[in-house]
Amino acid sequence: MPRKTRPVAIVGVGQTRHSSHREDVNQPELIHEAVRRAIDDAGVSLDDIDAVVTGNMEMFEGTHQPDMWQVLGNGAWGKPCLRVSTGGTTGATVFGAADNLVASGLHDVVLAIGFEKQQEGHTTGGITAMADPLWARHLQTGALTGMAALEVIDEFGHERARRAAMRYRVIMDQHAAKNPNAHRRFNLSFDMIDDLMQKSPPLVGELRLIHMCSQSDGAGAMIFASAERAAAINRRPPVWVQDHVTVHREETLSLSGVPTYDAHGKLETTTQRRAAEILFARNGIARPSEEIDVFEMYDPSAWWGLSWIRDFLLLEGDEHLQMVERGDIAIEGRFPINPSGGVTATNPIGATALLRPLEAALQIRGDAGAHQVPRTVRKALASGFGGTLWTVLMLLSKEKPDA
Amino acid sequence: MPPKPLSEELIHREHMARFPQRWSTGPVMGKFLKALRDEKRIMANVCPRCGRSQVPPREVCAVCRVAATQFEEVGPAGTLRNFDVVYYASPDPVTGQSREVPYATAYVELDGAKGGATFWHELHETDMTKLRRGLRVRAVFEEDGKRTGAITDIKYFEIIEGEA
Repeated sequence: MPRKTRPVAIVGVGQTRHSSHREDVNQPELIHEAVRRAIDDAGVSLDDIDAVVTGNMEMFEGTHQPDMWQVLGNGAWGKPCLRVSTGGTTGATVFGAADNLVASGLHDVVLAIGFEKQQEGHTTGGITAMADPLWARHLQTGALTGMAALEVIDEFGHERARRAAMRYRVIMDQHAAKNPNAHRRFNLSFDMIDDLMQKSPPLVGELRLIHMCSQSDGAGAMIFASAERAAAINRRPPVWVQDHVTVHREETLSLSGVPTYDAHGKLETTTQRRAAEILFARNGIARPSEEIDVFEMYDPSAWWGLSWIRDFLLLEGDEHLQMVERGDIAIEGRFPINPSGGVTATNPIGATALLRPLEAALQIRGDAGAHQVPRTVRKALASGFGGTLWTVLMLLSKEKPDA
Repeated sequence: MPPKPLSEELIHREHMARFPQRWSTGPVMGKFLKALRDEKRIMANVCPRCGRSQVPPREVCAVCRVAATQFEEVGPAGTLRNFDVVYYASPDPVTGQSREVPYATAYVELDGAKGGATFWHELHETDMTKLRRGLRVRAVFEEDGKRTGAITDIKYFEIIEGEA
């Protein structure tokens, strides 16, 4: 099992106000906003930063090696800088890379940046360009699929499944309404569910416009530090990176619900469930729905958000639907999910998977303002999603982990 | 005379990118495409260790990570394991044109394929209410002379009427 050389803390975070069109700034200027806010949040200066990790999905904006340009705004001038690009998981891989760099002892303070300016390119086209040119590109429609909905409907029935997905969506929007940085806030309420279920335009199958994630311009930045530097910086309570795991998959395995097996005869499962099994086992968490205080989940659609609750929390049967139906996932509920509003509200793709642990860190610090969950947050979970159905799962802690 | 102050207007620049691409298919995918073009056969490769089929074939077994060098024909019929009905007209990334909607895409477990892998292609159907998981479907090929060694040498899959 991987062991860190030393514990790593998050000492500062910053994000832009996310929007459909940040036309007032170019890419370096957008990033600079988030970096400036993280620097101010930590109470440090650029001189305190030893290295920078930055990421986005370049195919969206169509500018290669964008770090060369963004150095005008990201603080990396004269410093070691790593560029990361792993599709939708980019922000989470940036998170993991920054954590690894500090844990290794190579650097003491690392600035991690995720950003995207979706409006400068074509989102669906950029995602479609990931498809294999020889056998998939003629079919790929960006990230749009109704198969997740089909599976939930087949398992739980047309009415109950659609109602639960819409309930999930409304709760996410109500959370976004409390987050001043969120991109989309529609003022949805539960009495609109019947109407939305019928009238929201279908995109693919039962995936409707209202279920689907946003396309946003925005950036996020997080500052990682060794325990020694964190103690010296200490403007806000440090948040500790307890663990993170990345699970990939070969893209056609288990895609369609037909059981497939790995080389050890173990039934293939979703990357969400496999990541949860690994992360919780190696951190001694037996009942995640009871031992985790808040979960910022990368939910590209309300259908995936609903479905993945079961996988991430290692639940069975219809427990996840029950959680949504009871309102457990609301900010004031038993197991709050996405108090920030999540990805259906805000999605600057290269930043999105970094905003999840960023928001989780705010929750641990008690700094999330109007969307703060009303409890002491000791353990926070955050996930990233992207590529061909990969998962990154991150565990943050209020208490410093044992080395 | 002092210069007039510049306006507050934010200037935007627009550009449409196009660039030519040419992909080498390699011997494994190339064999698959040649079989489509010259023989109207769908070829999967098989892992020598676990026996899984992969279609389209890939050089290495995704589970065992050993070279999968043996080929077997699969299909042309199969079972519909999952599908999408697309209502949103997103542009075809290959041609740049918007597809006619609604259209359906299908994940088909081809007859003879072992281990559960499915094959992704278009499903041709005008009555989308017919679609459900488990239907029997079959590949429809382009006519002789029109196949070029592309995945679209299979035009689409269609529902086989009368088969449970």
